[in-house]
Amino acid sequence: MENKLQVRNLRISFRTSNGKVQAVRGIDFDLHKGETLAIVGESGSGKSVTSKAILGILAGNSIVESGEIIYDGRDLLKISEEDFHHIRGDKIAMIFQDPMSSLNPIVRIGKQLTEAMILKGKVRQKESRRLFNTYIKNLSKAMVSAGVDAARAEGSCRNFDKFEFKHVELESAYNMSHDAAIEAIDDAEPLIFELEKKQPSRDASYRIKDIVKRSKMSIHPYVVPESDKQRTSELTSAIPGAFSHAKGDYTKAAALLSELVEILKKGAARPAPNFFRMGYYLTFSGKELPDMPVDKLNDFLKDYLDRDFMIAFIADAMTAIEFSAKESKQKMAEAVEALAKERAVFASEKLDKSACYAAYKSLAEKVKATIDPLEITKDSLTYTFPTSVKSELDTYFTAIKKNAKAVKVYERDKRKYERELASGKKPGWEVADAAVIDLELIKANIARIFDRLDEHYREMIKSFDTRDFKAETIAAIDYLMSNASGVAAKVTRSIAKDRAIKLMDEVGIAEPHKRYNQYPFEFSGGMRQRIVIAIALAANPDILICDEPTTALDVTIQSQILELINKLKEERHLSVIFITHDLGVVANMADNVAVMYAGKIVEYGTSEDIFYRAAHPYTWALLSSMPDLDTNEKLESIPGTPPNMIYPPKGDAFAPRNKYAMQIDFERQPPMFKISETHSAATWLLHPDAPKVEPPKILRDRIERMSRGRNTNNEQQ
Amino acid sequence: MSSNDEVLLRVEHLCQYFKIGPNAYTKAVDDVSFDIKRGEVFGLVGESGCGKTTTGRSIIKLYDITSGSVYFKGIRIAAGKKSYKEAIAKAKADLKEGKIDKAECDRIIAENRAAIKTADHDQKNCDREYSRQQIEKAKSEYLPKIAAAQGENKAKLEAEYKDVMRKARKTKLVTQIQMIFQDPIASLDPRMTVREIIAEGLIIQGERNKKVIDDKVYEMLELVGLVREHASRYPHEFSGGQRQRIGVARSIIMNPELIIADEPVSALDVSVQAQVINLLNDLRDKFGLTIMFIAHDLSVVKYFSDRIGVMYYGKMVELADSDELFLNPMHPYTKSLLSAIPLPDPKYEKARRRITYNPLAAHDYSVDKPSFRELKPGHFVMCNDAEYERYMKELK
Repeated sequence: MENKLQVRNLRISFRTSNGKVQAVRGIDFDLHKGETLAIVGESGSGKSVTSKAILGILAGNSIVESGEIIYDGRDLLKISEEDFHHIRGDKIAMIFQDPMSSLNPIVRIGKQLTEAMILKGKVRQKESRRLFNTYIKNLSKAMVSAGVDAARAEGSCRNFDKFEFKHVELESAYNMSHDAAIEAIDDAEPLIFELEKKQPSRDASYRIKDIVKRSKMSIHPYVVPESDKQRTSELTSAIPGAFSHAKGDYTKAAALLSELVEILKKGAARPAPNFFRMGYYLTFSGKELPDMPVDKLNDFLKDYLDRDFMIAFIADAMTAIEFSAKESKQKMAEAVEALAKERAVFASEKLDKSACYAAYKSLAEKVKATIDPLEITKDSLTYTFPTSVKSELDTYFTAIKKNAKAVKVYERDKRKYERELASGKKPGWEVADAAVIDLELIKANIARIFDRLDEHYREMIKSFDTRDFKAETIAAIDYLMSNASGVAAKVTRSIAKDRAIKLMDEVGIAEPHKRYNQYPFEFSGGMRQRIVIAIALAANPDILICDEPTTALDVTIQSQILELINKLKEERHLSVIFITHDLGVVANMADNVAVMYAGKIVEYGTSEDIFYRAAHPYTWALLSSMPDLDTNEKLESIPGTPPNMIYPPKGDAFAPRNKYAMQIDFERQPPMFKISETHSAATWLLHPDAPKVEPPKILRDRIERMSRGRNTNNEQQ
Repeated sequence: MSSNDEVLLRVEHLCQYFKIGPNAYTKAVDDVSFDIKRGEVFGLVGESGCGKTTTGRSIIKLYDITSGSVYFKGIRIAAGKKSYKEAIAKAKADLKEGKIDKAECDRIIAENRAAIKTADHDQKNCDREYSRQQIEKAKSEYLPKIAAAQGENKAKLEAEYKDVMRKARKTKLVTQIQMIFQDPIASLDPRMTVREIIAEGLIIQGERNKKVIDDKVYEMLELVGLVREHASRYPHEFSGGQRQRIGVARSIIMNPELIIADEPVSALDVSVQAQVINLLNDLRDKFGLTIMFIAHDLSVVKYFSDRIGVMYYGKMVELADSDELFLNPMHPYTKSLLSAIPLPDPKYEKARRRITYNPLAAHDYSVDKPSFRELKPGHFVMCNDAEYERYMKELK
């Protein structure tokens, strides 16, 4: 599965007047495309800090001590604020815990919904144009170097540019009409039901206006054609009158609406021609479209396009892509050699500053050269290599100075503490460990970056022969098409309003037309949360981070919102990070679950691993402190509170609250023990020498009950 | 699970309307009736905005109710007048149309005017009534003793009598109903120490002895699982769960008979939720408290309550024992609500389908109006005749 987001060895602390609070202490996870990862834990376990780091909105007193958050070939911890504007809200969106504090109280809901859409719309147009142009330029360059005749290469690329935009124009016109027809049907059907029941909702007249508007929009040669146009316009002009003069008898309005829906349904089911081919024909043939049915027209256009342009273009593009990939492979082999050679510089006992930076510079250049300008999915390791190594080096050389100072501070504090102790006082404070940055750790980090890149290159070189360049060429053409459609997509105020109302409807807000002009305080908690979700979705993000989105909502709304997020995830292939402490919600949403405690991931697995085969005592405690519908015994609450992270415990952070804790739990931190391919947990209980421990009774009973319940359910079915 | 059938709180036809414009009202609570028996936990569930909290607040007299009455320990503590006024208006209209004669109309008007008067009186004077009862009780207890006592003993008894009388004069019936609020942060005054917060009720009630107050505060703190040293701290120094414990301590120091817990655990972490629920359960066993538990987390309500009422848009749609409700949900809204509960079981969750509730499609109330009927002992559902028969069949 494609990795959307990789978090590696993330450590975050906060500077406070009492000392350094270690909020996140080295966590790793991957987020795949279309996957939901749930992060579970008590408040203060570092879940929200992790998500804020991903979104680049950490508080000012935070220190990112180490780690990488890799998204789309970039390390989000190291890019500039300016670059982050293109990612935050657009690619990675967040739904916050408290809807009231994430809405502006003095701006109408409609404005808040459309503001970002309009702003982003302009930026996206420019950005798409830029990507399209660069790619076409690179392609034409590569074609020339691959040996294609220069004039031909340039000409075909220019031609592609021209007709591609015609294609997008045609296609978006069709899509608009088609979508309008479908929306009108979706809007009209419940209304007909209500009219037949003689109880239309209060906003019925708005809805009728909307349906009429959309029906008018759906007139298009391939949706609602000329033959139906007459009747459609008659109906659309008759319906509002029929409704407003109904006086309790809605049969006529309902009948007219039903007829309209019939026409639209027929229209929406009509086959569409291939606009890509049509665009080429209209641009270059200089002739009108021949009059024939859609399937025949498609074949005709295909022949024309293939003969005239496409086959040659694909062949040229393929040679170019193959050539460029080969070149990149060559460079990779060189880079592997260089990596092996320069490695020693970074592995010596004490790093030499000038030698390190020189080696880094030459390596960065070599690695940069391996980037294939024609690849579409960016290879994150290559892209992040220079920044990662540089930042590690920077920390290393500043740490040498800082560490000396930190040791001094520690010794001063310790002397003071001992003095107080000696004078018979009982100090109300503890000596925090010296804030020394581990130099060996940094060296290990650098070695790891090298290892990963080295391994990656070897893998790429090895798998070169199995690459399917035909498929890659098709993917490249798709990439160009999607960028071209990005250029053509305009967002005007009225389009934004339409889209906002549709979104509001989609997230389940009744009477969106009226609500559009209201202020946040006029909404109830659940409704506000829906608005926040709508705003997050307005930008059509890649990754959605949900920070306890349903904690403040009641069950029905909660389950509606979860369904909504699930539905949108399916439709838009979203990757979701879901932060919550409600395990019922996790069971519903998550593919994978990470249980966090005191800044570490203590257990990681698929949701079934966590709920049926939990291995960490903290997970047991969480699961058994929550009643389900059959619980009668006393609940097992977790005693005590999470540890103060200014003085992080030496051993397992959960040990003081854990009734299964052993001596070793207080002394050494447990490593992650792998239980199965997908499941791992950090507890000494999994060590082969550890005594065998059963989960608490309440939990075992529940698991048994659940499996029994499922079996009877299956039998009934 | 309640050992006796003594009704502690009776709510009859409670309506709470809020004015939102000229002649326009939001019917937050509309004709809700139920009983709470001594010693039981009564759960109230429903989606946000359905009037659960308003019901709780109306009972404790934070609002003046529009119509209906609330009886606590047999004394009417709140009464609304709208229904009587409507009856008078209807009588007048009927007279105009000639449906009833003048004498009949006058009789109805006089009756309802009298009812309004009693309602006003009850609304205002329920506390005085109770305080009078307490004074009588104190008098009958102490006066003979004082008369019989001699010398030093007499003086001591007299002082005690004075103290008790003062408290009896200040006592209020409504203070025996206490409330725990949803948000433990917002419901504690940030500028008061925990001691001041917890003792405030006692002081208002007329307790002057500092030692008694301190002892009581310490006792309460220990009862809810905090320690004495916490008394001199401020609310911001506590975690969410501890703050909610302070809220609980504040309400039980008044020695209440009924606690209205308005979503006490909704804002807390799971592990802390369990702590607070266990605490409430312990207190209930210890003092025989009666609790009205308002929440939207159905698993918690099921775990904690003996009987559950389901509300939808200001109306009570179903009321039954908690096991019965989860076993045989009858009203379509209850069914939809139960189908929305998330459980910590991924396989079940993947297969779970939420039932949607659309009142327009589910009921046909155009001719036959619904009312609250008993399907079987203790199981009430809002339905009309046709539905009543269908539900009865389904139950068998």
